Amino acid sequence: MAIQDDFPILQRQVNGHRLIYLDNAATTQKPAVVIDAMNDYYTKHNANVHRAVHTLAGEATDGYEACRTSLKSWFNAERCILTSGTTEAINLAAHAWGHPQLRGRAIVLTEMEHHSDIVPWQMLAEAYGNELRYVPVKEDFTLDMEAYEASIKGAGLVCVVHTSNVLGVRNPIEDIIRIAHEHGARVLLDAAQGAPHCQINMAELGADMMALSAHKMCGPTGIGCLLVNEETFQEMEPFMGGGDMIETVTLEGSTYQTNEHRFEAGTPRIAEAIGWNAALNYLGQLNLEEQHQRLLDIARHVANVLRTLGITVYGRHEDDDSAVVSFLHPTLHSEDFAHLLDARGVAVRTGHHCAQPLLNRLGISGTVRASFYIYNSMTDAEEFLAHVREIVERFA
Amino acid sequence: MTYPEQLTELIEDFKSIADRMERLEYVFDLASEVNELPETEWNDSTRIQGCQSEAHVRVDVEDNTVQLYAGADSKLVQGLMGILTIAIDQQPVEIARLLTPDFAVEMGILNSLSPSRSNGFRNMFDKVMKELLEVE
Repeated sequence: MAIQDDFPILQRQVNGHRLIYLDNAATTQKPAVVIDAMNDYYTKHNANVHRAVHTLAGEATDGYEACRTSLKSWFNAERCILTSGTTEAINLAAHAWGHPQLRGRAIVLTEMEHHSDIVPWQMLAEAYGNELRYVPVKEDFTLDMEAYEASIKGAGLVCVVHTSNVLGVRNPIEDIIRIAHEHGARVLLDAAQGAPHCQINMAELGADMMALSAHKMCGPTGIGCLLVNEETFQEMEPFMGGGDMIETVTLEGSTYQTNEHRFEAGTPRIAEAIGWNAALNYLGQLNLEEQHQRLLDIARHVANVLRTLGITVYGRHEDDDSAVVSFLHPTLHSEDFAHLLDARGVAVRTGHHCAQPLLNRLGISGTVRASFYIYNSMTDAEEFLAHVREIVERFA
Repeated sequence: MTYPEQLTELIEDFKSIADRMERLEYVFDLASEVNELPETEWNDSTRIQGCQSEAHVRVDVEDNTVQLYAGADSKLVQGLMGILTIAIDQQPVEIARLLTPDFAVEMGILNSLSPSRSNGFRNMFDKVMKELLEVE
């Protein structure tokens, strides 16, 4: 059975055409096993987690905590705080670790970051006056590592995207972490795009914090995590107060949990955690490395054909890069291109992809982005390219 | 709602086209219907905020009659501006104010009318209506 048969949504038609879903860098589709797991939870096990002793509560708690256990194992991480997604994870890092630990210290970011890895640090800098240093992106779409080395002195934290959501470029994370640690700086990885495409071993990499989302790796929306090594975890202070994160509460004050629950105030995303765990089990049955190479071959083919049509492609598609093809036609606006592709059942994304500083560096305001994932085939790519040819011939 | 006659005819034209890409092609053709707002007159007050494309509109009212000037770097957005021009340009203000944006969905050219960054048409429509409502 082909992988696409596991995803019910891929059976549907859009505007009279077979759906070709190429907006995977925004969110991936969900296999039936994930939908079934969440449905099963609400049908048979729904209860709040952690404190009640009844049977349903025990089943819900086991389901929720199983996700945490799987994530720690999948990424070889010491601590896993479940959040609403990458954005909340980075905001949590800024508040729980950044506020107490970074006062007055510089933060190194890159021009390649998603807004969610820029804005929380700008807000922190507004509060405490931290200097923000941005590593430039070079014309070959890679980070300027000489500028990075020059910027690291005295910095307390380096925030870097593992794989760019616009370019698909996988950054030299190993070198970035080594250099940061040599200068006493911690490293936060934005792994929202990297995690779906390759097996990331956090302990082996030596990253201190890592943020990611479930929905970009076949899991549900509304859940993600901040993975943290033990040393950094012990330096974090509670951010959101409320139920579940406390040990005791009196009118005079409160004491807090010492495990990950300390940072998960309120009723958590139980069904979503169960769905994410099902997604991890599903992905675990695939050979992700093999899939990565297959998808990269598709992306390279698409990029090459687009270039022959006079279209500019932003990215390089080297071995570790993700299967993202960002492109721009010289006369057709990216938004028009996406509407016309939608008329043929092709879902792509347009605009600045929440990475305006990167697009400013590239001198453009937006691209069309086709991003491929495990259920996409070369047939999808060829049909997509046939529609692109039609659009260029009719509208350019 | 009841649309102005010229818009009703246009909606019927669009409904008679089965293929969505052909409908979009028709919208592209209607880009020439706008009273062009030259790029030299594009500024912050004419800019349609939150739009993915660079899109500008100016609404003048003279003797209670609407005069719409528009331009965009997206052909589709400018085509939608052309449709809005056909609907309200040279109409009395009180008639133009009655228009709702539903016609773009009825025509089968937009999937959603929810305000969002990707909905240049909705952002443009809201800006034009806001300016018409501010007319004394």
